[in-house]
Amino acid sequence: MSFEGLPQGSGAKEKSFKESLYLWEVLRGLGVTLRHLVRNIFHTGEMPTMQYPEEKRVYSDRFRGRHRLTKREDGSPRCVACQMCSTVCPADCITIVAAEHPDVEIEKYPDSFEIDLLRCVYCGLCEEACPCDAIRMDTGIYEIAADSREKFVVDKDFLLNNTTDGTR
Amino acid sequence: MANLTIDGKEYEFPDGTSLFEACREARGEALPHFCYHPDLSVAGVCRLCQVEVEGMPKLTIACNTTVREGMVVHTRSEKVKRASQQILEMHLINHPVDCPICDQAGECGLQDQYMEYGLYESNVTQATKVLKTKAKVIGPQVILDQERCVLCSRCVRFCNEVTGTGELGIFNRGDRALIDVAPGVELDNNYSLNTVDICPVGALTSRDFRFVKRVWMLKSADGVCPGCATGCNVRIDHEGGRVYRLKPRRNPEVNGSWMCDRGRMTYKALHDERRLTEPRRGDQEARWAELQDELATALDKGALGLVVVSPHQTLEEMYLAVRLAGSPGKVVSGPADAGMREGDSLLLDADRTPNRAGLGVVGISELAGKDLAAAVAGARGTVLVLGGDPAADAAVAAALRQHGRVIYLGTHGNETAGCSSLVLPGAAWAEKQGIFVNRQGRWQAFQQAIARPGNAREDWRILAEAVGRQDEEAALGSLKSVRAALAAAVLADPSIDLNKLPEHGFAPGGEN
Repeated sequence: MSFEGLPQGSGAKEKSFKESLYLWEVLRGLGVTLRHLVRNIFHTGEMPTMQYPEEKRVYSDRFRGRHRLTKREDGSPRCVACQMCSTVCPADCITIVAAEHPDVEIEKYPDSFEIDLLRCVYCGLCEEACPCDAIRMDTGIYEIAADSREKFVVDKDFLLNNTTDGTR
Repeated sequence: MANLTIDGKEYEFPDGTSLFEACREARGEALPHFCYHPDLSVAGVCRLCQVEVEGMPKLTIACNTTVREGMVVHTRSEKVKRASQQILEMHLINHPVDCPICDQAGECGLQDQYMEYGLYESNVTQATKVLKTKAKVIGPQVILDQERCVLCSRCVRFCNEVTGTGELGIFNRGDRALIDVAPGVELDNNYSLNTVDICPVGALTSRDFRFVKRVWMLKSADGVCPGCATGCNVRIDHEGGRVYRLKPRRNPEVNGSWMCDRGRMTYKALHDERRLTEPRRGDQEARWAELQDELATALDKGALGLVVVSPHQTLEEMYLAVRLAGSPGKVVSGPADAGMREGDSLLLDADRTPNRAGLGVVGISELAGKDLAAAVAGARGTVLVLGGDPAADAAVAAALRQHGRVIYLGTHGNETAGCSSLVLPGAAWAEKQGIFVNRQGRWQAFQQAIARPGNAREDWRILAEAVGRQDEEAALGSLKSVRAALAAAVLADPSIDLNKLPEHGFAPGGEN
């Protein structure tokens, strides 16, 4: 294959000696940096960088953070293990094992309820599908970090009590 | 014959056909219904299958009407739609609508028919519903929720007409009417779970399946129950490599719409902890690749002394066993009384093996325990035991131990596996395709539902490979070719394609 006769790219352009030193371009770039430095020193309030974690962005009340399980008045989970959330979940991150509740009025409850926070895509369909308002994503928690994959799989107790930030 | 018009089209049905069945055929789908069941008497209590018949002053229920010459029937008119909506609304007045905790959700008549024909704003403003008993255990297999019941009386009719045990009844009147067992009586018969199948709502649910899985997560495969020689057609409901329940599939020639509770529980053995998953040589776990040469030598025509085939194996495997042994005298089955228990007059057969009739089809003779022990003792060369547990008989066990060179190809770690020098893990019934011949001589094919555990292999493949090593021209590389060879060997008309058996099974030489 031959490239003859094809238009040449900019890389092929011959540079003069002055241009090939890049001296002027380097100085121009340093000038931009210097300008921002001076401006940020005298106008700290306008600086776009946020001093996280001392300072945190304010999100809307509707922000979907980490899930929680709501409780009945007596403290037991509202969840009846109908598995609507795990059915609708596009990431397949909810695993529920149902069991018979001793109280016949409740009948069914989740023996185990696990969410894999690494698989979750935070779409909120689980909240929407829940017929009992048992699962909510209104904690506002988005700092989810851990040092092993297993710790991202959170269980029923964790989701019910929701005391700590991040993962378990 | 009667000529009639349904929804503007002309049809011809034999006299005495139920208008419900005629409409099902004409529409391609059943009319909305709760109480009608093809294998039970007509009750006409749910009033949901109303259709408009010209010349009749009011709507009429299709289930309790027979076709008549010149009838003009409308099933989709506005009047019919309004009637089914109103009836559904009435059925839902006292229904608790606790679908989230109801096991029937997903296969519920109320849900399906509300979505299909209902979709109304309820006119009922009363805040309180008539409360009845929830989660009442009425038998070893069945749990009752009286609030969900729509009083279709299918379960009551089943217990009166099919089993004749009559445990269930409808008590009280009006909106306080409820299904219950009489005081001191339990719904305890071997067919009790059929009431769960025919319950169109979640009033009767299975205790075995309770809260185990939501039904929409299950996948289904068509199977044949391995529990006895009747060979009830079943639907294997499975998910993620696990079978969760068996449901009967309608086959008027074999089991109608029913199956027994004992048969339903046969799926549990699939996930038994005694399942064989890896090949074993003595106490050592082995790999299939290492065993290739050993199997080739041991199953060679000269080296193979005897093949003991269990009536639990499929017809294809039985045929391959005969091919492998070369001469009919080298293939036997037994002990002949293994799997014989007490049966009943309905579906459960005394013979608890699914394919004993298949032994006769391919010409394998059955021996009594004593004779089988003698045959094993007299076998020169390897003894191959295909499935079952012949060593449950003490004499056979002793003979197998004495013999020493025994290969067991089976599914469970049982007595026979303990007597064998080489144990090969095979596929259980839900993990392979095959054909069972039932007590009527009806050939019924079943599909594979789940994957085999661990390194288990399909039995027919191991046998076909061994046959291929003996005879290069045999080339039985697929189940299709095995079936073709089987048809050629045993059927009077070998052109019958065993891969496409009719839905209700196939009886060679008999009525189909």
